[in-house]
Amino acid sequence: MTATTEFRSSRKKNKNPIAKLLQKQLPIFLPPIVAIAGFLVIWQILCPGGSKGLPGPLQVWNETVDPYITQPFFDNGGPDKGLGWHILASLQRVGIGFSLSAIVGIGLGVLIGVNQFFHRALDPAFQIMRTIAPLAWLPIAQTGFSDNARAALFVIFITAIWPIIINTAEGVKNIPQDYRNVARVLKLPARKYFLKILFPAAVPYIFTGLRIAIGLSWLAIVAAEMLMSGSVGIGSFIIDAFTSSLISQIIVAVVYIGVVGFVLDRLVGFIGSLLVAQEHK
Amino acid sequence: MQTTNSNVALDRKSQVANPFLVIEDVSKVYRTPDGLHTVLDGVNLTVGEGEFICLIGHSGCGKSTLLNMVSGFNTPTTGEVRLQDRRIDRPGPDRMMVFQNYSLLPWMSAFDNVYLAVDAVYPNKPEQQKKGLVKEYLNLVGLSEAADKKPTQLSGGMKQRVAIARALAIHPEILILDEPFGALDAITREELQEELLKIWREHQVTVLMITHDIDEALFLADRLVMMTNGPHAKIGEVLDIPFPRPRNRAKIMEDSTYYELRNYALDFLFRRFAHDVD
Amino acid sequence: MSFFVEIDHVDRIFPLPNGGKYVALKNIELKIKQGEFVSLVGHSGCGKSTLLNIVAGLDRPTHGGVILEGREVKGPGPDRMVVFQNYSLLPWLTVRENIALAVDEVFAGRPKGELKEIIEHHIDLVGLQAAAKKRPGELSGGMKQRVAIARALAIRPKLLLLDEPFGALDALTRGGLQEQLMKICQESHVTCIMVTHDVDEALLLSDRIVMLTNGPESHIGQILNVPIPRPRERMEVVKHPLYYQMRNEIIYFLNQQKRAKKRASQVSTPQVAITGGGLEKVSLNLGFIPLTDCAPLVVAKEKGFFQKHGFTEVNLSREPSWQDIAQGVATGRLDAAQMVATMPLALTIGMGGKKPLPVVTALILSRNGNAITFSKELYQQGVRSLKDFREAIDRTPDKVYNLGVVHPASMHHLLLRYWLAAGGIDPDRDVNLMVIPPTQMIDHLKSGQIDGYCVGEPWNSRAVSEDLGFIVAHDLEIWKGHPEKVLGLREDWLEQHPQTHMALVKALLEACDYCDNPRNREEILSLLCQPQYVGSAAEYTRNGFIDPYDRGTGEEPQLLRRFNQFHVDNANCPGRVEGLWILTQLARWGIAPFPKNWLEIVERVRRVDLFCEAARQLGLPDIEPDREPFALFDKMVFNPDDPVGYLKRLDIVREFEVEEIVIDPTADVKV
Repeated sequence: MTATTEFRSSRKKNKNPIAKLLQKQLPIFLPPIVAIAGFLVIWQILCPGGSKGLPGPLQVWNETVDPYITQPFFDNGGPDKGLGWHILASLQRVGIGFSLSAIVGIGLGVLIGVNQFFHRALDPAFQIMRTIAPLAWLPIAQTGFSDNARAALFVIFITAIWPIIINTAEGVKNIPQDYRNVARVLKLPARKYFLKILFPAAVPYIFTGLRIAIGLSWLAIVAAEMLMSGSVGIGSFIIDAFTSSLISQIIVAVVYIGVVGFVLDRLVGFIGSLLVAQEHK
Repeated sequence: MQTTNSNVALDRKSQVANPFLVIEDVSKVYRTPDGLHTVLDGVNLTVGEGEFICLIGHSGCGKSTLLNMVSGFNTPTTGEVRLQDRRIDRPGPDRMMVFQNYSLLPWMSAFDNVYLAVDAVYPNKPEQQKKGLVKEYLNLVGLSEAADKKPTQLSGGMKQRVAIARALAIHPEILILDEPFGALDAITREELQEELLKIWREHQVTVLMITHDIDEALFLADRLVMMTNGPHAKIGEVLDIPFPRPRNRAKIMEDSTYYELRNYALDFLFRRFAHDVD
Repeated sequence: MSFFVEIDHVDRIFPLPNGGKYVALKNIELKIKQGEFVSLVGHSGCGKSTLLNIVAGLDRPTHGGVILEGREVKGPGPDRMVVFQNYSLLPWLTVRENIALAVDEVFAGRPKGELKEIIEHHIDLVGLQAAAKKRPGELSGGMKQRVAIARALAIRPKLLLLDEPFGALDALTRGGLQEQLMKICQESHVTCIMVTHDVDEALLLSDRIVMLTNGPESHIGQILNVPIPRPRERMEVVKHPLYYQMRNEIIYFLNQQKRAKKRASQVSTPQVAITGGGLEKVSLNLGFIPLTDCAPLVVAKEKGFFQKHGFTEVNLSREPSWQDIAQGVATGRLDAAQMVATMPLALTIGMGGKKPLPVVTALILSRNGNAITFSKELYQQGVRSLKDFREAIDRTPDKVYNLGVVHPASMHHLLLRYWLAAGGIDPDRDVNLMVIPPTQMIDHLKSGQIDGYCVGEPWNSRAVSEDLGFIVAHDLEIWKGHPEKVLGLREDWLEQHPQTHMALVKALLEACDYCDNPRNREEILSLLCQPQYVGSAAEYTRNGFIDPYDRGTGEEPQLLRRFNQFHVDNANCPGRVEGLWILTQLARWGIAPFPKNWLEIVERVRRVDLFCEAARQLGLPDIEPDREPFALFDKMVFNPDDPVGYLKRLDIVREFEVEEIVIDPTADVKV
């Protein structure tokens, strides 16, 4: 049975469609708006204006509305730029690092998923490395790469790769025996097997890995950039603001980080859902 | 909306002298984006107390919808279902349901699963008495030793036994089984059929059971209700199954009536109301 | 006749995590003709899917092989397409793409248009044109299975393998699909093997139904031919006069297997303390009858085979008659005994109105070794053959010919009756049969109380050498290689002493091997002639055993190589088919009813599994003879799949009943 509105109770509703839509959507949007407003009120009460320490939301707003909130893309040269530029710079780094880790990670994941020997050989090492915090890689990266920017890329790469490898391998290993049997009976050549069966079957797992990985790389970039003060990037922006005791700027930057991280996560999830759509039912 | 009784093929025996459960002119219509969808159209059935009724029909014929109306999870669009002259409009412990997928809580032991139901229905009984009840019914289905096991540690047949124990422990007046043995292998299925009959005789409970298996119905039921295909499904015919009780599977299979009834039901299901291959 | 598919003595053994082995399939031998539809039926765990996977090449047999059109199957391939129970469609491809994946791969290189035509044709075939662009997730179970069937057929396999194709669907939804599958198979003339547990499905679709016994060591229990003409239509099929008879036969088979399964789960591990060498019992009391073919027992004792297998003391108890052997085993006085091949079956079915006593045999001790002796008087009347004897009876209607047999349940008895009946002599009306112990045959013949007898050696040769009679026929002329003596013991004794039994079988198996070496025969002869064993004179024990066989007719004695067969030609395996033949003969002469549950009886009595285990442990071949039709000297074919039909075809046969023999009386289920 698809639609299940009952016959008898179907006479009552007869309003215009917009009102109907609002009526429908309101219960979804209202609660979070109320919650955020409540949070801001409590924050304002706890940190009233003029007090020392953490500024209240009104103070944050007043101190940063111009230029940081209204002009995200001003450019005064050097690192003195709008938050938009900082975010973009960070996103660029994440993009490069994450893409690298996706390519390498999926490749390695397929390898250890398909090959028992490689699985036995490499899996324990991967399981250990994945627990290492991004920051712990930083000194190693800085020693290894003379260039701080490259070191940051490396940190993103090394942070993001583990969940991709592990999930991809899991996906490949979990391909139902039936699908493999189909391939065996049809004698599909290896290339076709990869493209037509192995890869599509593992896609949901791969995207689970990618989604975890994008979150981790966003975490890592902020941490990495914090050690790169003076350059463009949201992490550097925070550390520069911190050294200048501009707490309001930090708070705005933190909100930006949160929003961007959220959007990234949803974006990967959305791409994944496009590819996985209809498949695994 | 058609409200007159269009069910002409109603067996005269279904007019039981002392009606226990009455399904009267029941129709069910759903509104869909493509218009009205009539699932059941004028179903009449009267069940006597202690009867064992099996329902058979192709998928989509509304058997489950009908039983859901008896259990109270669903309500008829027109017509009504009465149990002992009370109109059924909501679920209640006097009508207990057993599903094909057992619906046991996986984090609870067999004992606790049954206890949960007993406790819900008899909150005021002393705990000792409630525990005694649970034990009694687990014993009845031969699961005393597995009482402390969780569903994952039980086989499919054992899980279904727990579900039956849970249903019976609260002393329902009607036991409703929705294709309870469909997921079990042949050996376990026969064992459970035999156990179900034993329990039914000992407890004199009224049973309504959906099945897809003609042999199962012929072995278990007093009457076999054969439904026509949906939409607008109704009761096509009711077969009286005359084998004396207690029944013995081998004996029944030696009876030529068995084959007449079986062929008759096959003819109904595969020729007169054959299902288009979906 | 050449076969399309030949499953050739396939075994499948799985290693267990604890280092043991699980024999899933044992000695599966099946030949399938082109265009045939064969179903495999059995309870879950009987290895039917394993067998199908082996044919598909997805699994490899441990022994044996599968031959398709003369070529051995070495791996999976599109010529043997499988339809799996869970459809195994790729969920990310549409119906059309799923089929195209297979077609494009298998017919790679053909023009695009042709491929497209094939794809569309098969979508039409299963009536799914409207759903061609849908993905499997949007389809019902029945539709998915139709896609899987279309995909399988689209690549034009030589063999279509169906693994419970409709198992995931409810019984009623299956109906329509079965008919569709039947139509498609008929149109495409494809050979099919289907695994199913649905009896009606098997009957509707199949030409032959192969019923597999429970695992472990699952094997073919019975094969049913379905002679319903094609094209078939469901309601016509169920109204076919044979339909319910066949259906009940399969259900009966499954019920027997269900009982066997229950019994197997109830057999408790023995509580007997295990003594040295891992045996529950190291001293045994074994019964034997003083006949030449008790040689394996004598050899096992005298040549140290018992000792080698861990027995400290084996007493060979010389018994006066077969009756004493049966009683000795029944009462437990004897642990085990040399028995006539018929006896374990006869005791198990409670022949003669007795309570059934389950007796098993895992070893044939000897084959052949009997002969029919007639008196010199008959010789002087010119009787030389069966035909002459028939004429002699006709000539002298007033004379009653008395013939001796050793026990109602002996092979001698059955063979003599068979021989007489084949010559048109009714053994109950035209002659008089008397039971006389072997050792007393000579005296009875001498005194004229009997005119002949059928017995084992040396009692025929003694009549020849004392010039009292002549040998009118011997085993090799009646049924070459028939089972004669077996090792028999109670089933409960076996359950309590599994290791002891295994050691006993191995010791005797080695002794049998020893007995068949011609170089050992002189030595064995001297052992047999010792008074505690046969105690007969060497000169007439030699006859046939070592020397050319003198029939006492003045003809040149002939060397009969297999006259006493102890081991060669897989002599020791207690094959089930010959056991079934024995059951038909007991019924034929009204000695016992024919057991409806013959399969259960034969499986329980003739323990091929234990024989094979012993043989494997000794490094000997562990193959049961094929379950094939065979014939005795009169060319009357015995088909193991139709024992009752065989009985009905015989000319001389008593009224017999087919009834279920309940061996373990349990409460009849009534609910």
